[in-house]
Amino acid sequence: MIKFFSIIILISPFFYCQSDSFDFFSSQNIKKFADHLYCEGDYLRAVEQYQSIQQSISDDTTDYKIIYAYSLTGYLQKSNELFKSISTESDLYPAAHLLSLKNQLLLNRKSILTESGVSDDSVYLRNLNKLRIISMLYDEEMTYSHERFTYTFDEDEKIPVSKLYDEKFNPPNKDAIAAGVLSAIIPGSGKMYVGEWGDGIAALITTGLLAFLAVDNFEAGHDTRAWIFTALGGFFYIGNIYGSVAAAQIFNARIDFEFNAALNLFLEEKNYFVPVYDFCN
Amino acid sequence: MISVINFYLLIVIFLILAGENIAQDYFDDQFKLGKKLFDEEKYYDAVTEFKRLVYFNEEGEYIYEANRYIGLSYKFGGKFSDALRYLTIAEINAKTVEEIYDCKIEIIKINILRRTTEFALKQIESTEKDPRYKSKKEELNYWRGLANIFADDWENAAKSFALIDENHELKVLSEKTIEEQYSVSLAKTLSYIIPGAGQFYTGEYLSGLISLGWNVLWGYLTIEAFVEDRIFDGIVVGSLLWMRFYQGSIENAEKFARQKNLEITNKALNYLQYEYEGAKP
Amino acid sequence: MKLIILFFFISITSAFSQTDFVKWEKADFSYEQPVEQTRRDYSFESANAGEFITKSLTNAYWFFISDVDGDNCPFRPSCSVFLLESVRETNVFQATFMFFDRFTRDVNLFKGKNHYPRLKNGYYFDPAVNYTLVSEKINYLPPGFVVDD
Repeated sequence: MIKFFSIIILISPFFYCQSDSFDFFSSQNIKKFADHLYCEGDYLRAVEQYQSIQQSISDDTTDYKIIYAYSLTGYLQKSNELFKSISTESDLYPAAHLLSLKNQLLLNRKSILTESGVSDDSVYLRNLNKLRIISMLYDEEMTYSHERFTYTFDEDEKIPVSKLYDEKFNPPNKDAIAAGVLSAIIPGSGKMYVGEWGDGIAALITTGLLAFLAVDNFEAGHDTRAWIFTALGGFFYIGNIYGSVAAAQIFNARIDFEFNAALNLFLEEKNYFVPVYDFCN
Repeated sequence: MISVINFYLLIVIFLILAGENIAQDYFDDQFKLGKKLFDEEKYYDAVTEFKRLVYFNEEGEYIYEANRYIGLSYKFGGKFSDALRYLTIAEINAKTVEEIYDCKIEIIKINILRRTTEFALKQIESTEKDPRYKSKKEELNYWRGLANIFADDWENAAKSFALIDENHELKVLSEKTIEEQYSVSLAKTLSYIIPGAGQFYTGEYLSGLISLGWNVLWGYLTIEAFVEDRIFDGIVVGSLLWMRFYQGSIENAEKFARQKNLEITNKALNYLQYEYEGAKP
Repeated sequence: MKLIILFFFISITSAFSQTDFVKWEKADFSYEQPVEQTRRDYSFESANAGEFITKSLTNAYWFFISDVDGDNCPFRPSCSVFLLESVRETNVFQATFMFFDRFTRDVNLFKGKNHYPRLKNGYYFDPAVNYTLVSEKINYLPPGFVVDD
């Protein structure tokens, strides 16, 4: 009996310790913790944890999560460097490839026409094609006709895509020279043509008033004053012609800005045609 | 025999408890690791380790402490809204009245620091009303005073500190600051009466003289024009020039008074931060 | 409508800027209240004779007039700084035209409506580079956009 208890006594704490021995920094636990951080949206920390165990645990889901987290947190270059290590055999390769193209587009807004698909997954190839075609809008030249351009897209995408195409290659720009010439003929009219009605009226009033004051003073024989008003009026007159040209340029810059904002917004809404995976539920 | 068995049973129980303590130690070690990083001011890494502790601590005995330290780490990293988030989690998981109070004060301190004074004052008020914290009146008045200091309300700050002690160091500081500060309305009024006088009051003599000079000049020319019946000239000079400089003198006096007051405020805040030895947010 | 979209776009992008997207360190936090930087650069540093003359005139203008005639300019850079920037970007002649154009735009009573981006303190942001007639230099920002200075 005593022997029996002695054995229990000797063994039990030993077992107890064993079962309770806990290593926060075992690969398994680091991975668990990293998964938790990832799902919490603490991406940078998750990546740090994943990378600390990359030697021992390596699977393509983790690799994909890392490049995804890097992309999301804005480390686009890093994300793309790690993309190279993903095997083309992996199930996640298509998503990773599209993600790398998204990064590339975010880094430099330029077309990615030369990219070709690796697997024959049809959804992937279709998304790749969409991304390639829409990225052409970042370039100045276009070889595709309107019809060919919109052909690849789904029905609900066709309208915004076609609108973007039109805005890019038929922008409602204003002619800077015309604005200048108009203001030379009637002060302020160039600004009004550009849509700056307030500035145009202000220009018309200032030059008009100064011209009136100059004439009035010449007639009254106040030559010095008259010349001062003439000079001032002249400066306002030329300044307005100059300003009308500048305003037309700024107007065009605005058109360009709004086009890019709309294009980026469209791509953002479509997540750059990158499929979204939920690794957390 | 039975007594022997009893004896052995006792030992077994004792050892099981010891085993539990060993398990406890794993968490304690992890907590110490976080605390060490925290003490070394490596706040980002401290957050990681405390988060790890919270994640694996299913029993939950470290949730309060760890979240509190996560909150404080964020605070020292200047990330106040994250800090508030984790301190609130800590408060929810606090077990004793004292722990809850501690979290409340930390939250109040952050609201003082980031100058969301209204929140700070409301939280102080609600804590004051809580019967559990009857004994904390003095301390709460202290933080109320500091909240007012950070909101640049030295009058109320002085009142709050006076409730603790008529000769409280910070009451003296607040009163000294009030005394040193310029009255913005007096500066403006002085410049209303005599252009430039407001600037003189704030010690900006040169600016005051220039202001006075312009006002004398344009005032003289305006009056002269009216006297000589050149009504148009009088109106133009009076409205475009004299009024502009008259108005400017008032604006300038206000600007200087505010600037100097800000300097005085900052001097006091600097003292509070680097020389004052009492509790600080 | 476009405006709303733009706003939406801007707010989406800023919502993504979460704190732990960068590895942060201890922050040095000052109790002091921020002092608005309105100090003027009174130096005479200039690259050429034209700029020197403009800078000297501007300094005198600041000292004797602008500092004591109240806050009349709703733009930033203010009219005098705009002139200085213009001279730096172009030449005295072109800068004069730019200055008079700015003057005209200042006269326009409805200038604020849906036109200029703003600084945090409410001024309209209107830098000289946008008016040098070099399209590539124009940095267009939508109205309502708040510029971090």
